[in-house]
Amino acid sequence: MGTGVTSQECFTCEHNDLGQGVWLSWKYCSTAKIICTLLVESMFLWQYLTTLLLIAVQICKAQKCDDFTDLDLNNAIIGTSLRVRLLLYTSANPECGSLVSHTNLSAHPQFNLSRPTSFIIHGYRPTGSPPVWLNNITQLMLDRTNGNVIVVDWNHGAANVNYLKAVENTYKTAENLTAFIGKMRDHGATLNSTHMIGVSLGAHISGFVGKRLNGEIGRITALDPAGPQFTGKPPKDRLDFTDAQFVDVLHTDIDALGFRAPLGHIDFYANAGTDQPGCPKTIFSGGAYFKCDHQRSVLLYLDALKPVCNFRAFPCSSYNDFMDGICMDCNQFGTAGCPVFGYDIIKWKDVLRIGQTKAFFNTNKVSPFCLTGYKVDVIIWNQEVRWGYITVKLHGNGKEAVATIDHKSSKFQRYKETHLFAQFDKDLQTVNKVSLTFSTGNVFKPKYKLRVLRVRLTHMERKEGPLCRYDILLQENKEVTFRPIPCEESNF
Amino acid sequence: MEFELKTVKTNGTDEGERVTAGNGGAPEATERDALFAGQSSSVCRIKKELNAVICSRARLWMVIIIIVFIIIAVIIISLVLCSVIHEDLDEKYDATLFNISQSFNGSFRLPNQVFKEQLLTLNSSEGNTLATGLQKKMVDLYRSSPALGRYFSEARINAFRNGSVIADYQLTFRMPAEGQHQLRNFTLSREMVYNVFRQFLFDQETQSEPMYIDPRSLSCSQTY
Repeated sequence: MGTGVTSQECFTCEHNDLGQGVWLSWKYCSTAKIICTLLVESMFLWQYLTTLLLIAVQICKAQKCDDFTDLDLNNAIIGTSLRVRLLLYTSANPECGSLVSHTNLSAHPQFNLSRPTSFIIHGYRPTGSPPVWLNNITQLMLDRTNGNVIVVDWNHGAANVNYLKAVENTYKTAENLTAFIGKMRDHGATLNSTHMIGVSLGAHISGFVGKRLNGEIGRITALDPAGPQFTGKPPKDRLDFTDAQFVDVLHTDIDALGFRAPLGHIDFYANAGTDQPGCPKTIFSGGAYFKCDHQRSVLLYLDALKPVCNFRAFPCSSYNDFMDGICMDCNQFGTAGCPVFGYDIIKWKDVLRIGQTKAFFNTNKVSPFCLTGYKVDVIIWNQEVRWGYITVKLHGNGKEAVATIDHKSSKFQRYKETHLFAQFDKDLQTVNKVSLTFSTGNVFKPKYKLRVLRVRLTHMERKEGPLCRYDILLQENKEVTFRPIPCEESNF
Repeated sequence: MEFELKTVKTNGTDEGERVTAGNGGAPEATERDALFAGQSSSVCRIKKELNAVICSRARLWMVIIIIVFIIIAVIIISLVLCSVIHEDLDEKYDATLFNISQSFNGSFRLPNQVFKEQLLTLNSSEGNTLATGLQKKMVDLYRSSPALGRYFSEARINAFRNGSVIADYQLTFRMPAEGQHQLRNFTLSREMVYNVFRQFLFDQETQSEPMYIDPRSLSCSQTY
């Protein structure tokens, strides 16, 4: 009985604050909390103290922000029925989401419909937990767009051990979202400036919404669209490039949970779209074995939203051709160069909208995931043809960047330049020293030498002069370190 | 397939047990034998054949293992021999065939030298010392070059000029008539001769040394 009175008191003190229209800051809240607890302490028994404290904190939290639905495995096993919640984030209060009414848009003064709106739609949640990347993506998207970011929380619906139920719910979620976007349009928003970012099942939801709005939505970004139950389906039952004015897709797990075939105007395949570096290779690593590749798509997008990472992708017919370095010519894209995966791919919209393009890039094992590309041209004077792998190390300012060109054995021929594509784990601003290692992988064969006339390293992003070194004798498996010099105009 | 694997395994364990038979493992072994015999008679037959005595103590299975080892050893030895006696084609050349000469000349600046009238004549002691020092530098450089070393013939300082000190040099290479066109375009091209010198100058550790050559002052052109 006594407890009831206290919580009421706590409630009212905080309720008054809201009534005055003052936004309850953390400090404010904690003062309120202290007052409450003091009251409690003076009046009631110690044993009630902890419970009351918890209640006070809960009230503070609940009034501060609306959070993503947190479910657990139990809910997933029992199964959840669909409930779509829309959490609005704006630059006015970037860390605090507020639940948006589906019907009354004018109830949210911070929801400025003249600004662009991005929807973030998660995928299947077999355990019911909120996605770990949610806060990062809203934050980074707000930095990029300075508009509205709406997290579509359909955790009730996506959390279900039965994947087929979750798939079923994608259609209903799409219907719900379509109605909401319709409302937004009625209130003056344009479909042009609407961007939907869908992860896995969320990618298909974006597609379904796009279809219902006749492909008038500005943009859909699909992060590893789900494969199971969607592969082989006709365009009306999955994401398709006709669903929006521009559809960009990233594939990271085409051999398991992702979708293999191209779906968008541009389809990026990170590390061939199959096994992502740093992901476990055996089932002994537990759950990560199943989801690591799939989840990597979001992590890559997060890095791409940051200013430090630049994922240059190369349109190519196959991953092997890309690795052989035969797709590095980006002249067709003019000064912009080859497409860059991430938010800025929209700059290539006009060139890419004509058809469907497959583009490839590779990544690091850990964040920052982006690699730095160099063209490495080697010309030798050995009388016989040599086959082997080249490892290049760049040294500068105490840092070291490594690239191994070992996806296949390269052919080196007398007086014929071999063009290699080296991808370094980091980008060094200045290169003072370069190390080269030649290896053949043969155990029993004699140790060959590669007699290099000239090696030339060209940074693929920065417009700076290439670095050269002449007359190097590379003994197999022996590292040679040298100081590169600026190349001069070549005659051969 | 699986069945075959099993038979081989059976043989192996059986051999092991035969050795320990004296320690009281005998009843177990016979029990197993009976079990496997029940499964297949061919296992027994193979076992028997493998155990056949070839001469005094050597049984057939020992002989088979020895033969396999010998084959592997022969393969390894021949591979090792092959790699040891491997001849690098690129290290073999006949210098007597190098009878076509190709020359380059150019100049570089020695910023740490003070120009004196005596340097204008190479026969003067100052001129001679400096020229010899520089020539040695160039000879050492080109002699040790993996690509150009074998073709290198001589390096000469032709003159010193004012401008702190500017040195005019000449390099001569000799090459064979065979493949001379390609050599001229690649290995003995101006680009190679010039850049081997240039990168050597960029590699100089200290800029305060009296013989320091300014890398940016280096020029080189082919003489016809």
